[in-house]
Amino acid sequence: MLKDRRRDILVALMMIAPFLAIYLLVFVYPTIQMFRVSFTDAPLIGDGEWVGLANYARLDNDPLFRRAVWNTFYFVALTVVPGTLIALAIALGVARLTGRLQAIVLAFFFLPYILPVSVVYLIWDWTLNFQFGIAMHVLDWLGIDRVPVTKSARWFMPAIAWVTIWWTAGFSILLFLAGLRTIPVEIYEAAALDSANRWTVFRRITWPLLSPVTALVLTIQLILQLKIFDQVYLFSQGGRPNDNMVLVYYIFQRAFQQNQGGRAAAVAVTLFVLVVVVSVLKFQLLRYAERRRQ
Amino acid sequence: MHFRRLMATALVATGGLWAASAHSEETVLWWDFLGGGDGVRMKQMISDFNAAHAGTIKIDATTLEWGTPFYTKVQTSAAVGEAPDVMTYHASRIPLALTQGVLDEITADDWSAMGLSQTDFAEATWDAVTSDGKQYAVPLDTHPIVLYYNRDLLKKAGVLGDDGKPTGLGSGEEFTAMLQALKDAGVQFPLGSVTASGDFMFRTIYSFMCQQGGELMTGDEFLAGDNADKLTNTLELLQQWTNDGLQSKYTDYPATVALFTSGEAAMMINGVWEVPTMTDLAGQGKLFDWGAVELPVVFDKPCTYADSHSFAIPKNRGKEMSAEKRAAVLEVISWMEKNSQFWATAGHIPAYGPVTESAEYKAMEPNATYSTLTANMIFDPKSPLAGIAGPIFDVMSTYYVPTLNGEMDPAEAVEGIKEELNAL
Repeated sequence: MLKDRRRDILVALMMIAPFLAIYLLVFVYPTIQMFRVSFTDAPLIGDGEWVGLANYARLDNDPLFRRAVWNTFYFVALTVVPGTLIALAIALGVARLTGRLQAIVLAFFFLPYILPVSVVYLIWDWTLNFQFGIAMHVLDWLGIDRVPVTKSARWFMPAIAWVTIWWTAGFSILLFLAGLRTIPVEIYEAAALDSANRWTVFRRITWPLLSPVTALVLTIQLILQLKIFDQVYLFSQGGRPNDNMVLVYYIFQRAFQQNQGGRAAAVAVTLFVLVVVVSVLKFQLLRYAERRRQ
Repeated sequence: MHFRRLMATALVATGGLWAASAHSEETVLWWDFLGGGDGVRMKQMISDFNAAHAGTIKIDATTLEWGTPFYTKVQTSAAVGEAPDVMTYHASRIPLALTQGVLDEITADDWSAMGLSQTDFAEATWDAVTSDGKQYAVPLDTHPIVLYYNRDLLKKAGVLGDDGKPTGLGSGEEFTAMLQALKDAGVQFPLGSVTASGDFMFRTIYSFMCQQGGELMTGDEFLAGDNADKLTNTLELLQQWTNDGLQSKYTDYPATVALFTSGEAAMMINGVWEVPTMTDLAGQGKLFDWGAVELPVVFDKPCTYADSHSFAIPKNRGKEMSAEKRAAVLEVISWMEKNSQFWATAGHIPAYGPVTESAEYKAMEPNATYSTLTANMIFDPKSPLAGIAGPIFDVMSTYYVPTLNGEMDPAEAVEGIKEELNAL
């Protein structure tokens, strides 16, 4: 028996070895390097001199960094909870449909999710184009002044949040639908016998039983949206990049445009810490909510 | 057995092929970022070169994404000895490239091997590829911005001269009056401007600053002394055009070209690389009578911003280029320079003097008309922060967009730009 067990471990090790090797090489090693480089004045390629905490100290009175932090959290606030609620609402609607109709409607909502970000960008850039966009003709028709959506500091983030929700809601909807299907029909039947109204059924049955899925969707969204880059980069090109600055964009700018690997790494480490802190906070918050319910 | 024999035969065959080609033909790896209409023309030139050098030199060309992606790839590949043998490079990016150590010097021996010299190039162009008295690239062209105009609309508004050029090119007042006349004649957008892209407008704004004798960098300081005022003057003029409804608001690049080619905008300030668009449309009979001239003198003297596509040889770390390979690379560059007449059909002004002085070039319109501006060019300041898709672009763009569209006070914008640039 003992011998077999040892063999099992060996086989297991052999099977995870390729993954482990790649994981160590392209994830763990670069991460350690990132921490190390953040204490140097290294360019993008090559080594630099040890500068201690200087790269971090500079962030303190760097207005662009502050704007990046603010915009990142603003974007998170605009997308994570609203996006999750919208997905939940759509999932509840889709769940009421049956058969082929449900499949078709679900496909419509899922379609944007399979598009690459460049296509999403082109669709919305032309839709919102100040001179030729369809959205502008709608505004004209309503008698409202045209809005240069992606070129205005006020509308940029809400617009990107809207596009992001439109783009990624499909995935959250699928998760919610899967969650809804795991709720036994008998519970709903019992509720119907007790003549509970629709709102009570949602509040007392669907929402609590769905909470693990809700927590999952929120977590995925939170981490994903803290890392926002693609959409902001594409929509700001030529526009007002520094007004729309977000953390990952700032890392990109420092590293690839200004050839300052060390300073970029310091921002990357900061973002890393932020993601960890926010995730832990959120986890604790959900656990607290869970306990209170029980 | 059978399998092993097959493998052996295959090995011998490929080895033999490789050996044969290595002896007779030098392959030059080439990278460029020319993806538009000019890319099509460059591919033509490359295939012409290969045809003319069959059996001796072969260019193996790859086109990569313009801008930051291209330059990042060059930097990373040079660091591990995987860069190409020759590549296109923006002259404005040379200062940054030198701090990254990715460019090999073009030595005096190289210049004589190519049969080229300083006298073949305009002074500003030569200077743009020079650092500390050494050259790091061979300029292929200069690509400035020019003023495109719709002769039909200008004639209707009575602002077309007998020489077929717009009348109000002499001063800011004249130009504004011309725009107003077009407006009064019912033109929706007298001037199509890329007002949604601050990085694009940098070219116009920098030109107008230079027309007042202004400069962006004095030593290491941005907008020193009265240069800030010169930038403010420029932004005030451009903002006034927006406020008076004389130029298109919040218009991005493709929309600007569309407004002009559809006849909704009577004039447009844009790069010479849009010349093929106009030529092709006109060839299909889908365009009005059009022309292009040097930018108007809205301040004291003529001046136009330009950049240069040039050829550079990467410094491959840990990989010395053989003398034969170097000779082949120099032959490639030299041939491209001397055959750059065809490159002019992409709108760019060939940097190699003998080409622009040829009768063939002088017969090309509107190229010959606007190429006079090479006497009044200004290039980017020589700083690692400058150059296309660089940090200066981003700072300025962020302030230019609201200012040009009448949302921010020009003086306030200049204050912000100055502060952010000096903090870079």
